[in-house]
Amino acid sequence: MPPLETGELALEPVGIGLTHEDADRSRDRSRVFEARHGGRRWTLLWLLVGPGILAMLGENDGPSMISYAETGATYGLGFFVPFIIVTFAMAMVCQEMAMRVGAVTHRGYGELVLQRYGKVWGWFSAGDLAFTNLVTLIAEFVAIRVGLSYFHVGAGFAALLGVVLVLFTMSGGRYWRWERIVLGLALFNGLFLVAAILVKPQLGSVAHAFTFTPFPGGSFNTLLLLLASTIGATVTPWMIFFQQGASADKGMTPADISHGRWDTVVGGLMAAVFGLGALIVGAALLTHNGSNINGLAGAGFPAAIRRVSGGPAATIFALGLIEAGAVAVLTISASTAYAAGECIGVSRSFNSPLREAWIFHAANLGVALVAATIILIPGAPLLSIALNANVLATVLLPVALIFMVMLANDRGLMGSWVNRRSTNVIGIAIIAFISVCGAAYGIDSFLRTVHLISG
Amino acid sequence: MTRPPVPEPTDRRQGSEPPEEEELIMFLERDQLVSDRFKPVPRAELGRATNLALWALRLFVLVVSFMVIYTFIVQLN
Repeated sequence: MPPLETGELALEPVGIGLTHEDADRSRDRSRVFEARHGGRRWTLLWLLVGPGILAMLGENDGPSMISYAETGATYGLGFFVPFIIVTFAMAMVCQEMAMRVGAVTHRGYGELVLQRYGKVWGWFSAGDLAFTNLVTLIAEFVAIRVGLSYFHVGAGFAALLGVVLVLFTMSGGRYWRWERIVLGLALFNGLFLVAAILVKPQLGSVAHAFTFTPFPGGSFNTLLLLLASTIGATVTPWMIFFQQGASADKGMTPADISHGRWDTVVGGLMAAVFGLGALIVGAALLTHNGSNINGLAGAGFPAAIRRVSGGPAATIFALGLIEAGAVAVLTISASTAYAAGECIGVSRSFNSPLREAWIFHAANLGVALVAATIILIPGAPLLSIALNANVLATVLLPVALIFMVMLANDRGLMGSWVNRRSTNVIGIAIIAFISVCGAAYGIDSFLRTVHLISG
Repeated sequence: MTRPPVPEPTDRRQGSEPPEEEELIMFLERDQLVSDRFKPVPRAELGRATNLALWALRLFVLVVSFMVIYTFIVQLN
């Protein structure tokens, strides 16, 4: 076994005794051990990937893909192709920290914030997460509904599909099973790349977009909204809760950190490419009044794509929306469950049976059930709720990131695995950038609402 | 709401340990065991500057959250 290199706080001796959770995790770790010591590099990589790819592809969710497509339809490719890549690079830095803290401490983000920095911040983080997750889940179900409506299937089936998927994935009582099923589904996020190829984009215009031109026009408030929503589509608090909690649940150790980094980078690259796919599909509508298709109200997106680029591209895009919403329902519900278990101080693992971790499993299913029920309420202001929740999530994101950087620099917890100076410089720059964009949009919108400025 | 207790080791583990589980436990680090993960880590000792920064963060969160929620309510109306 590799030597322990965690901080001294995590190394107190314990009495030995296996729970179901321990036994299941041990079995997973025995396969990792055998692959590592048998020199089977690809098997080892296969065993250790998961949380990073799931966090990244989970964030390529229904609302994000609609947002990318809408941005493409309104502004074209210029500026946003490189900007999306930059935001995913930012996400990789943040998620690498979450993975590393989870692998070294074997604990989730919520419990560490609660125990290290006090109940106020711990419960604030969990409350912020629970609220924004619920609202994001509503938007995920709406995205599934938008995709299914292309095939003339109603909202009831969208709600049922999401809830049944949550039930199915949690039914095996194993983290490994949950992770592999969701990973298999998440790979279908590549449908957006297929759709992008089918709309036959001009490669020259894609290449030209890397010059960050043309800069999007419109008002200052619109630009801030675009920046804030694009950032909010790539870096979120639930990803931090999820990847740290899942890394601990998977049983990752400091010896696995290099593979965890590959997992995060590969997930980020896949998510960036597939996100650009949605942007390119949307850009195909640029010269066809695509700007009339707005946000989640844009239920006609697949239909508009069919008119411009043909049936296959539209069908693939609609299927992609269903997949993006479904995977996000699974990962976001899981992050809520991890946060609930961590902050209440009860068992929080997919390896734990229902009787030992009923709060964890109830939170996982319950939040999806509530969101599914809300989308069935006639006349609910779903679009307004979803858009404002994204803005609030972006505004509050710096809080999650600040504690992430503090945990990753906590020598008592992390020992020799604390952040390098370069990681801190990049992390602080990311926090500053996101804080300025989010706060500027929040303040600007507020001042317009109270008529202190106009435009 | 009553908290479920920290999961107890299964009955099989009490008393003499079957060889299969003895073998399994060697694949986990000590602090990966459920019994250790439930031990709370101590509160961090923060310097004055950090505490001041965290108070500023609370203020930031309160002010900006109020602005976004107020804007949302006005939009709903």
